[in-house]
Amino acid sequence: MKSFFRNFGYYLSETWKIIRLNLASNIVSVLGTALILFLFGLVMAGSGIGSRLVAMLNEEAEISAYFDEEVTVKEAQALVDYTEKLDGVRSARLVSEEEARDRMKEILGEEASILELFEDNPFEAYMEIRIYMDSMEAVMKRVQDLEGISYVRDNREVLDQVERLTGALRIMGLLMTLAVGFTTFIIISHMIRQGIYNNREQINTLRLLGAPNGFIGIPYVIAGLLLTIVGGALASLGISVLIVKAYSGMQGTLPFIPLPPRTELTGYINLLIISVSFLLGFFGSLFGLSSIRNDGSGR
Amino acid sequence: MIEARQVTLQYQDDTLALQDVNLSIKPGDLVYITGPSGSGKTSLLKLFMGIEYPTSGILTVMGQTVKKGETAGIRRLRRSIGPVFQEFKLIKGRTVMENVMTGMRFLGMRKKDIREAAAYALDRVGLGHKKTSLVENLSWGEAQRVAIARAVARKPSIILADEPTGNLDHDNAVNIMEILKSFRDSNTAVIITTHATHLIGQEADAMYIRIDNGHLTINRRA
Repeated sequence: MKSFFRNFGYYLSETWKIIRLNLASNIVSVLGTALILFLFGLVMAGSGIGSRLVAMLNEEAEISAYFDEEVTVKEAQALVDYTEKLDGVRSARLVSEEEARDRMKEILGEEASILELFEDNPFEAYMEIRIYMDSMEAVMKRVQDLEGISYVRDNREVLDQVERLTGALRIMGLLMTLAVGFTTFIIISHMIRQGIYNNREQINTLRLLGAPNGFIGIPYVIAGLLLTIVGGALASLGISVLIVKAYSGMQGTLPFIPLPPRTELTGYINLLIISVSFLLGFFGSLFGLSSIRNDGSGR
Repeated sequence: MIEARQVTLQYQDDTLALQDVNLSIKPGDLVYITGPSGSGKTSLLKLFMGIEYPTSGILTVMGQTVKKGETAGIRRLRRSIGPVFQEFKLIKGRTVMENVMTGMRFLGMRKKDIREAAAYALDRVGLGHKKTSLVENLSWGEAQRVAIARAVARKPSIILADEPTGNLDHDNAVNIMEILKSFRDSNTAVIITTHATHLIGQEADAMYIRIDNGHLTINRRA
């Protein structure tokens, strides 16, 4: 470690020479890496927004349980109290006949006058149960089996669709991560191999003088790291600009989509891209370095 | 320092480069290795540096056995050798000073000591005024002297110079030989190969090795 810091200036100067030796090719590699990481950031931002949407919908997941006709309000409340204590239930509350009618009025809006045609309130009281998504089956069965419950209605179709969408987004994110990882890894390791090939005479001389592999390889690892991080920084910049533009556009036209706070999303994506580029740069460079022969002969 | 017992070197194409080499080189020795081109002079130096391994026999250099699988040990061994290659092997795009310093950066020396040792070595070979010149702008003789400075600045136990006077005019060749010999001391052996026998000194205590078709004839005057 002492030797690393002692030679740090030399390593940086060698790194610059390695980059400069093949400048045009390295710039193209950086732009390629930036583009790939930009696409990665885009998918991860979509996945982040999607996950938040799903989480919110999951929180909203609820079922409705209707009572037998002979159940009194007191008995209905007892059933609600019992249900609230069941595993997988977030909360349960009794929706009275009046509240049910008011909700329908709200949904119908201008058409609500149709309800005036009914002499009596046509709505029944029911139990509104907010549940955890993964406990839906069990909760429904338990509630259905309760004495005094006539039937249970769920919004499973919507929830299933949301689940499928979430799954698809997760798989897409995973595939994109793998694709980005593999492509960037190949670009960086190829870039390092190219650098090693261009400097093969120098490397050979250093080996003949007894230089350890670490001493020879460090400038190449720094070069790989630096170029990938620059690619990552460009991608982050692009994503940040895009998110700002997308937010200002979406908030006007699609106000009902529950977007995460812009700074939170940008911070998360930028951190992700820089971390990924750091890791890929480091391991890609190490992989590229393996092309230095290791038989000690220096031939 | 260097001990060879019945060492043979045969290349993969079956060329027998060296046969039945037995020799012992001590600290402070001055060794001239002569012979016609292709006789095995460079092959012998390659064995000393661990660039080639003996096909049979035992070779130890500075206590390190030279054989396949001794990668780390051979790397360490090379750090105590000051090689002067036939084709110099200077690093292009770097200055004279940078080239000399590069050979010391991984020896655990302090920056200040590296700089001082490089400057001193360059002064010794008469290139103190060319420190900032790029090596590709040097004449053949100057490049040879930079290679010598890089080799000696490391304060090696063995200086190995392979045909250091090749392609040099007579005056420059004599000058290079004198410079190389001047680095010999009680701890440092200097081994020089050359096919130009007229450049060999007549030191009373030198060792003279003649190689013909891989066979060594050793004559120690002292």
